[in-house]
Amino acid sequence: MPAPVRRKLLFACLSLTALALVLTGTALAGAGRAYPPAGSPNAGGIRDLYWVVLGVTGVIFVIVEGALILFVVRFRNRGRARSAEGPQIRGHTRLELIWTAIPVLILAGIITVVFYKLPGIKDVPAAGAAGPKMTVQVEGRQFYWRYTYPNGAVSINELVVPAQRPIYLVVTAPSFDVIHSWWVPELAGKMDAIPGKTNHTWFEAQSPGIYQGQCAEFCGIEHAMMLTHVRAVPNGEYESWVARQLHVSANIGRMTFEGACAPCHGLQGEGIIGPALKGNATIANPEQLRKLLANGKGKMPPVGNGWTPKELASLTAYLKQEFAGGG
Amino acid sequence: MAVRAEPVYPVPWYRGRFTSWITTVDHKRIGILYLVTCLIFFGAGGILAVLMRTQLAHANEKFLSAEHYNEVMTVHGVTMVFLVIVPILAGFANFLVPLMIGSKDVAFPRLNALSYWLFLFGGIVLYSSFFATGGAAQTGWTLYPPLSEQYAGNGVDLAILSLHILSVSSLIGAINFIVTIHRLRAPGMTWMRVPLFVWSVDVYAWILVIVLPALSAGLTMLLLDRQAGTHFFLPNEGGNAVLFQHVFWFFGHPEVYVMILPVMGIISEIIPVFSRKPIFGYTAIAFSSVAIGFYSLLVWAHHMFTVGLATPLLGFFMISSMIIAVPTGIKILNWLATTWRGNLIFDTPMLFALGFIALFTIGGLSGIFLATFPVDWQAQDSYFVVAHLHYVLFGGSMFGIFGGLYYWWPKMFGRKLDETLGKWHFWLLFIGFNLTFFPQHLLGLAGMPRRIYTYNRGSWETDNLISTIGSYVMAAAILVFVVNVIWTRRRAGVRSGNDPWLGDTLEWYTTSPPPPHNFEKVPYVTSARPLRDLRRRLEERRA
Repeated sequence: MPAPVRRKLLFACLSLTALALVLTGTALAGAGRAYPPAGSPNAGGIRDLYWVVLGVTGVIFVIVEGALILFVVRFRNRGRARSAEGPQIRGHTRLELIWTAIPVLILAGIITVVFYKLPGIKDVPAAGAAGPKMTVQVEGRQFYWRYTYPNGAVSINELVVPAQRPIYLVVTAPSFDVIHSWWVPELAGKMDAIPGKTNHTWFEAQSPGIYQGQCAEFCGIEHAMMLTHVRAVPNGEYESWVARQLHVSANIGRMTFEGACAPCHGLQGEGIIGPALKGNATIANPEQLRKLLANGKGKMPPVGNGWTPKELASLTAYLKQEFAGGG
Repeated sequence: MAVRAEPVYPVPWYRGRFTSWITTVDHKRIGILYLVTCLIFFGAGGILAVLMRTQLAHANEKFLSAEHYNEVMTVHGVTMVFLVIVPILAGFANFLVPLMIGSKDVAFPRLNALSYWLFLFGGIVLYSSFFATGGAAQTGWTLYPPLSEQYAGNGVDLAILSLHILSVSSLIGAINFIVTIHRLRAPGMTWMRVPLFVWSVDVYAWILVIVLPALSAGLTMLLLDRQAGTHFFLPNEGGNAVLFQHVFWFFGHPEVYVMILPVMGIISEIIPVFSRKPIFGYTAIAFSSVAIGFYSLLVWAHHMFTVGLATPLLGFFMISSMIIAVPTGIKILNWLATTWRGNLIFDTPMLFALGFIALFTIGGLSGIFLATFPVDWQAQDSYFVVAHLHYVLFGGSMFGIFGGLYYWWPKMFGRKLDETLGKWHFWLLFIGFNLTFFPQHLLGLAGMPRRIYTYNRGSWETDNLISTIGSYVMAAAILVFVVNVIWTRRRAGVRSGNDPWLGDTLEWYTTSPPPPHNFEKVPYVTSARPLRDLRRRLEERRA
């Protein structure tokens, strides 16, 4: 290759590198767009740590990539023979010690900040502006989330909580199930729901609203459909909701169908992975249906194992009403 | 010239009949068998990746079913880890270690052949699982129980069998490298004169010997649970589901360093040769490899920050994971310092090496986020992790591997790969790679978990589409590489001679390709750069 062409090619390559790095930089700056707004103090603590780490790594990024580009431009071949050698420098002990010590200090700094911020992220406050802390049992199931409230009410996939009250989550999975992970990014980091193990996490929604989340640990065929959301409402509204939820079976039936059945059988019961429900004989036979829900069959997990009689009855009634007729 | 221009042997060693490839115990031919097989598996794993990206291009896409996506996702992971990166490095080590240390062959040539054939067999078993009852495993490459014990078909059993075979293959390969490096070095090659690639292979092999038994034990327990009615990992029978994760990652995290250390060795060979300088801080790089190897055994639970570990454990594994960043950073700074005031020649191997530094740095820095355990509670099991691991294993390992292929291709086959196509390959891959994986950081932070076959959030679509387009650009880059290989073979291009790059190490002393016994005579090694010493001595004599 003649020298001018080679030089042109080199500059094309270099400008592309520069472009790529500028793009990367812009994207990094755009990380603010991607980092979800924190709706809870613990998620806020994590976000603060994220920005600390991003700041530190951002500086290192600019130094290392900047030096790389600078050296590539500055010390490029410029038509020298391949045999032309650079200075034969084999090392520099003091310099090497310095660039070993500095990263150690930087990392020690990050570690210190982590332990300084940790109590605010990990420890559950006893009370919030709207009242004392409240415990909710979270059960990860193939492929839905089951929430049990202090009064015994149950909801599926939708977790309704009072805003500005600490919600203490007791996270687990039934011993016959698999590992899931509860994750609503705006409110809290993940916590795995593990069969045979009980984990704890918490959040306190700062304002009413809906916060999306989903299972983060691969849990089987419909892992992608294992969605959940938290609906934070004013305390009074929560109290009336949870009282109603305990008794109104139509709510429970629909919710259970949409959370536990629909991912595989479809929202209209049209059948996706599981068979279509419309006119299905099992639905007309409560005893058979109960057995199927409790034990599972083939690819169907035992979705109804451990449900309260109320839940079972509500779902059975809902299925009958929606799908049994007209077969 | 210090080195002969024409091969002594009229029939080069690689022009044998078909059967001679099956019966060969020559480390160079076994090395090439490894490389070719791994590149074929790389193509297969790459096709699986493109299928996944196509499925994720849009929300609610129906290109693959959930079951197919989960199979493809699992086999992609197992392929790239166990059938591409780990064995292709064994391939490089096979071809290069004896040449670099001035030996005739590895210590146990027959064992070496066994290790290759087991590897091929293990790969075939894995791909045959697509045809098993119930299809291939749908568990992710991590095979976590209790999920992996739920599937009734034989996909998981075949995956376990395949991994068992591959572990045996890696284990005997590793023992072979250790004995070779420790016993068969040329006269004068003290430890401080051993090429840095060989240092890294030695650490790679030691790590494998230490951690592979843990994998084998974990897999055996899993298999017994599935087939013999034991309950190691079944909580409803008194077992412990988290135990498997400890066993798996005790193997799995060192495995990550197994996949990167020899690549760092490749980079440490390429950068000085194309900077026309000695490596900066040889001792620091060599001992950094050893330090990384040691600390890699102490960081496994940073993959488990969300399983509910006690705070002191979280702290321990955060600190140990951050400590391992220090020797890694030392290497990057040493490579940068090597280019300082050099005569930088941007041939394709150097482009890939510089690309490695640029991308691996990003992968290393995103690792700091993951080591900070509260941040990991958000990032764990999200696309942020997918981005991180690909910056390390593709931007890192694969870029280094491609650099190594371009660098040693003339030694293996006597001809250079085409430089123009090589540059197209590099730039397409570099741009495609960043398009594919950079947006995934943002997706992960926005709440997209990994291993989902579909999503319905409109706000995730743009980044996913960019990522998918990037994956097509990467596929195009790989096609350019394939064309380059075919072109170079067909066109019968320019013979490269023994030492086309003016290398530093002993493999450039012999012919390209080398004769079956490698060297007529091995020079007495007086430094870590024996070939440069020879060149200088000749020049002095001429002057």
